[in-house]
Formats: sequence, C-alpha cells, structure tokens
Amino acid sequence: MNYELKNMPFIEELIKYKSCSIVGLEKNTGKTECFNYVMQRLPLETKRVAVSSIGIDGETTDQVTKTAKPEIFLREGMYFGTSEKHYLMKRLSSELLEISDESTSLGNIVIGKALTPGKILLSGPSSSSGLVRWMDEMKKYDIDLTIIDGALSRMSLASPTVSESMILATGAAYSANINTLVQKTAFVVQMINLDITSQENCDTLNNIKNGVWAIDEEGELHDLKVASSLSININTDGLKKCKTLFVSGALTDNFVNNIRQNRIFNEAELVVRDFTKIFLTPMTYNSFVNGKRKISVLQKSKLIAVCVNPTSPNGIILDSEKLCNLLSEAIKLPVYDLKKNVCNSENSLIQHADCAS
Amino acid sequence: MQLRKLIDSTCGLRFMIDNLCTHSSYSRKIMLESSMMYDRSSIEKSYEVMKEFYQFVAQCVVPEPVEGTISGASTSSATLYLRTLQFKLCNLKDINNTISRLATSAVIDDIELYEVKSLALLSADVKNILEKISLDKIIEIPDLEEIVKILDPDGLRIATFYIYDSYSEELASLRKKLKEKEVYQEEVYNEVIRIEDEIRADLSEKLRPYSAIMVTALNALADVDINIAKALQMKEMGLCFPTLSSNNISSYKGIFHPEVKSILKNEKREYQCVDIDLSMKPLIIMGANMGGKTIVLKTLAMCQYLLQFGFGVPAESADMMIYDEIFCLTTDDQSINKGLSSFAAEMKNIDAVIKASKQNKKILALIDEPARTTNPTEGTALVSSLVKLLQDREMSLVIVTHYNIKTYNNKCLRVKGLVDGKMNYELVETHEGEVPHEALNIAETLGIDPQWIEMAKEFYVD
Repeated sequence: MNYELKNMPFIEELIKYKSCSIVGLEKNTGKTECFNYVMQRLPLETKRVAVSSIGIDGETTDQVTKTAKPEIFLREGMYFGTSEKHYLMKRLSSELLEISDESTSLGNIVIGKALTPGKILLSGPSSSSGLVRWMDEMKKYDIDLTIIDGALSRMSLASPTVSESMILATGAAYSANINTLVQKTAFVVQMINLDITSQENCDTLNNIKNGVWAIDEEGELHDLKVASSLSININTDGLKKCKTLFVSGALTDNFVNNIRQNRIFNEAELVVRDFTKIFLTPMTYNSFVNGKRKISVLQKSKLIAVCVNPTSPNGIILDSEKLCNLLSEAIKLPVYDLKKNVCNSENSLIQHADCAS
Repeated sequence: MQLRKLIDSTCGLRFMIDNLCTHSSYSRKIMLESSMMYDRSSIEKSYEVMKEFYQFVAQCVVPEPVEGTISGASTSSATLYLRTLQFKLCNLKDINNTISRLATSAVIDDIELYEVKSLALLSADVKNILEKISLDKIIEIPDLEEIVKILDPDGLRIATFYIYDSYSEELASLRKKLKEKEVYQEEVYNEVIRIEDEIRADLSEKLRPYSAIMVTALNALADVDINIAKALQMKEMGLCFPTLSSNNISSYKGIFHPEVKSILKNEKREYQCVDIDLSMKPLIIMGANMGGKTIVLKTLAMCQYLLQFGFGVPAESADMMIYDEIFCLTTDDQSINKGLSSFAAEMKNIDAVIKASKQNKKILALIDEPARTTNPTEGTALVSSLVKLLQDREMSLVIVTHYNIKTYNNKCLRVKGLVDGKMNYELVETHEGEVPHEALNIAETLGIDPQWIEMAKEFYVD
C-alpha cells in the first residue's frame, strides 16, 4: 500500500491510539464515508486492525431515511465483529474465528478475519458496555487498533471508557445553515475538548458511580445526597466553601441553572465523568461559565479530526470550502470534506467502491 | 419429574443447583431437563460413573479455576487435567438446531459448519484428556475424527473455519484474483460465491451421516461437565455417596442442610448435624420452637431429591429408600396460598398426599405442622386422625407438630432443646404426651418484652 500518509494527516495521528470511534452528529453526516476513508488508509502492514459498530451499520440504504449509504469495505487481514445474520450476508471471503457470547437481536457476535477484500454489514454489540466487553475479548488476537462505527448520533459510544480517540462527522444534515452548523459543531467540539480536572480530583472521584459529591477546601469528600442532577434541591448547609462539585450522571440545564441562579458553589469547579454526560445547551453553558466558573472532566478522548458532508438527504448542498474554513477557524482544528478530497484523488478506493455498488 | 420443575421447591434445592459449577450452559440445560430416577439400577449406575469422577477430582487441588491460566508450579498433573478439561468444556455449545437441520438434508452455512467443527475438535480434545486420566471408558465420547478430516482439510486443528482454498483450485485462484486489487470486484466475488455454495452443499452431504453421532457426542460432553461439577460439589460441601437401602429403612448419620450450614459458616457459627431414620411407619417430631424441626424436614426432602437425581447427599452417611413420589409441605410455601386461605390451601395439599397414597405408590410425605392455622382442639383431632389414617399405607410419613396428639405407638422424636441456655438440635426419642413446653423460656431468651412474658407465665400456670 502506498498511500501517502502526509496527505492524510489525521491517519498518522489516528494510529497512535489503540481505539477510535467515528461519531456522526446526525444521520447522513458522512460517518460511514469517513469510516471507509479511514479503513482504506490504515497501514495494515504494521497494524492489526479490528472493526465493529454499535448497532446495525453498513446497510446499503439508510434504515430511517431510505437514502443511499456506502457499504463498509474491508481489506484483507482486517478483523471484524458482526452479528451472525450479517456474517452470512458478507460479500468477502473470511475466516470464522469465534462466535462470542455477546448477543444482539441479530444473533451472537461473530469474530471473523477478512481473507479477501470485500464488503460487509457491520452490526456490533448494541451497548457501550457490550462493546467494551467485545474489545476486551479481541485482546487475544493482538489487535493494535480498533475502529468503531457508531449508529445514529449515539454519542455515548464516543465515551472515553470505550475508545481513546474519536473522529467527528458533521454536515448539512445536522443544520442547513452554515453559521448554525458551525456554531453547533463548535459547541460539541468545545465539550469534547474540555480540560481534564486535576490528578488529585481524578483519584478521589474516579470510583464514584452515582450521586452528586462535593470536595471542600480540606480535600474532604461529601455526598450531597442527591440521587441525580435531575433533582434540584441541594442542601448546601456547611458546604459553602466547596472547591469541587462532581456530578456522576447526566449534567442537565436544570441543575446548572439552579446552581447559577442560587449563587451556590460560586468558586467550585464542576466536574463530570466525560463529555457524553453533558446535556447542556450552548446558552446554559455559556451563561454558566461566564466569569470564573469552570466545567472539567475526569476522562477525555482525543478528537483527531472533524469531517464534513456538505450534502444533506433533502437536497441541500453547502459550499464545502466555505464550510471547512469557517469550521476550522471556529474549532482551531483541521476540517476535511472527505468526499471532495477523495474524488480529487486518483487512487480513490471509495470511488471504486461506489462505482461498483 | 424434571429437575427444572423442582428447583424452586421449598426444600432449598436451588442452592445446590446454583452452587453447581457447570462450565457450559448447555450442560446446565441438560441437567435441568434430566428426569428424576425411580429405579434402583439407573441410580446405582449414575453413582458408579460419578464415583470414578470423584476419585479423580479428589486428587486435585481446587481453588477457583481461573479461566485459561494454568499456573502454579506445585499443581499436580491431575489438577492440570481438571483445569484443562473445565476450560475446554466452556466451549461446549448447544448446536442441536444445527445438527437437526443437517439431518433434514439442509445445506448448512458457515456459522453452522464452524459449530460442527468446534464440536468435533472439542470431542477429540476431551476424549484425549479422559484417556489420560483413565475415565474414557466411564463416559465414552464418540470419535468424530472423520468430521475433523472433512472440515479441516489442511490439518491445522484450530477451531476456526472458512471454505478453505484447498477444497477447490478454482476457488483458490479466484481468491488470489480478489486479493490482487484492493477494491470490490463484483463479478469475481459472485463466482466465488457460486463455488462456495457448491462446496457447502458437498460438505453438508458428507457430514449428514454423522448427525446422530454428533448428538451423542454433545450429550456425552455435557455428561462429563455435569459429573465433574457434581463431584466437585461433593468435595467442596462434604457430601456423601448414598447407598440404597434394602430393608425399607432410610438411615442418615450426620445429616445437614447445606444452605443453612453455609449461612452459619459465614457468621462463624457451627452447624449441628443430626442423625435420623425413616421407616414405612409414621414418624412424629415434636419439640421446642426454634429447634430446627422444619430444617430437618427440608433436609430430608432435599436428600431424597438429590438421591433420585444422582447428586451427593449432605450427610456423613446415608442408606436410602427410593420413592415414587415426594411431598414436602412446609409452612413457608408461598405458592400454596393462591386464592385460598392458609387453612384451605394446607388441607388441599394434605388431601393430595392421601389421594396419592391410594394409588399403590411408595411415598415420602414430609408435613410441617399440619392444621397449625386452626384451633388446637380440632387441630389435634385432625393430626391424630391423619397419623391413624396413613400409618399402614405404603408411605414414610414425617409429621412435625406442637399438638399433643395421639401417636398410636408410632415413633416420636423431639429436639433436645435448651440445655444450659443453649439450643441442642439433637433428635431424641420421646413418647406420646410429652410435648415439650419451652415456648415461654425460648421467647425469654429472645429478649421479648418481659412484661408480656411474665403475664403469659401467669396465665400458663392457671
């Protein structure tokens, strides 16, 4: 394989990690394209790669909007996990290595190894915990890099507990207005890139599974006896001087506004497990952090790249170059329109794959 | 009667089954679907097999087996064999559907071919280990080498599968063509599919004659798993191999209830085992409250089930009869009260025992405090008459009661009761009319409101 990594900067970055999930902010934001793009460019000579998805993926037409979707294209030597049903529908020769105990509605997950290049439908474990178990199981095959394709806009899959790094796919399907699209995407990127809290806090908070907790100035941990951040009443007696506030579950607008309006925990750093737990609108977030407040995370996955699909299923086509530039400026990260990049390249594999299908 | 249907009986069988460490869910399924044995020869036969496994397991050091790892220099070769066997048996899957599809002239797909191959390789592995520990004659695993030959043309002996290149030269060359270009070549692949389909049909045809032997292998492997699990449980819980009685007497030495024993053990307390004999005459157990009478009944029921399903029995030694039907009516059976008052439900249940006793069946009936929910006068009458009615039937009847009933010279036992303020659970022989009156003393030791107890004592003296 002679794909020049220098033209594809984020591939070089990607192979530094052991796992990567590809997440679309909306259906039809080009996630699967992005997936295939990555697949074609991974240096298989040096890396052993496994792929799977959360839920069903790789169907030729979109199950929800019935629009055309590219299939997942595997190269020789790649490991994959898919359901029994989809294993039998594969369009490649592959060795069946194992039928794992991880079950889905389409049968157990089958672990295979591609012997020839070809197409496949991926339908992996349907929950993040199942996916983590599957990735664990794959360890025995000495996998260097696991790539996971998400379904719909399931962000939870991008959780750092599942994968170390991520690629974000966004596009006209997420918003038809370039400015809104840039704003909305930039906010997600901002959340992904929230700072990790101090090592001290990480050590204290890492094993807490539920509830809302506060750490006071002496470093002592207090359970605020709140089941989740959905309940509003927080008893702050004697805790006025808390340094850190930890929300183990979802962080909601309600909770954050409540803190802000009641002017409690003014000095405190608000910590959540990872960005997938944040369910804040940009407005709430901004009015909350405005000033000296801060939200940070315990775990963070590295955002490798943002890819855009300027085309949406209802026929809107945005100006690719403008979109890339605006977004890139907003998030201070390179942004790629893969379809365009790929179509410009003569060695295009996606193009071949598309033509064939 | 299937084990599955009895698992939640009040005697506590579930504890025994849940603590049985089978390594494949298929074995567990087979075990739960096994039927109760009613004839001497099949029970004897099952224990003969299990004894061989017990002797093997007895040589092994058994900490919790850690999957896949065989570590520790001090472990004996028997232990290593046991762990390997357990590890292998984790891979036993229920492929009966696949086999029956194969048998009915279907062409089976890659996943099914993989399953068949895995079974064949697993059988060979397990057979091999059983030979080394000389148990291969005890449970015979059929030879599936022919299947391995069909599904492993390259002789790699690894449990993975695909339609190998060596099945067809044409296939090999087409695949080569596919590999040349890293793009999807529709036409070439369609040709590959055509050849693969042919090969699959051919393989299914070749495998078809072996479908019956595959089922035999599957069940033999499950049998190995179950026997190992049962033998390990015997070792772990200190169960015994029962003998079969030839004189219509069941005789237990040091009988115990494993679940209660383990609870007590966790509280660092000792379980007091008891001795008990059953004959074809009624046995009446009286005695203080909290004397463990109900536990004795439950243990007796459990032992009987364990015998007739071929498990180890929780006792030092047990010489046991075989029964055609077992009734265990305890006071904590929640299911019996469905829409009936507790009295009505109880009467119906006892009625079922009486009806069964008329059907020329050998019955074990264990009845805990019959008629306890009604007034003592009528209650006593009901229980006395029950003893009289059933005493000459083909039945071992054990009744626990607090009533001062007529015993018609049948054997009576009582729990020794409070000795120096400590409960002694031993069962000693007693006679009609000697119902112990210890309820108030025991209530006192429980720290119940003293005013109440004092008042009760005054009433009692009156």
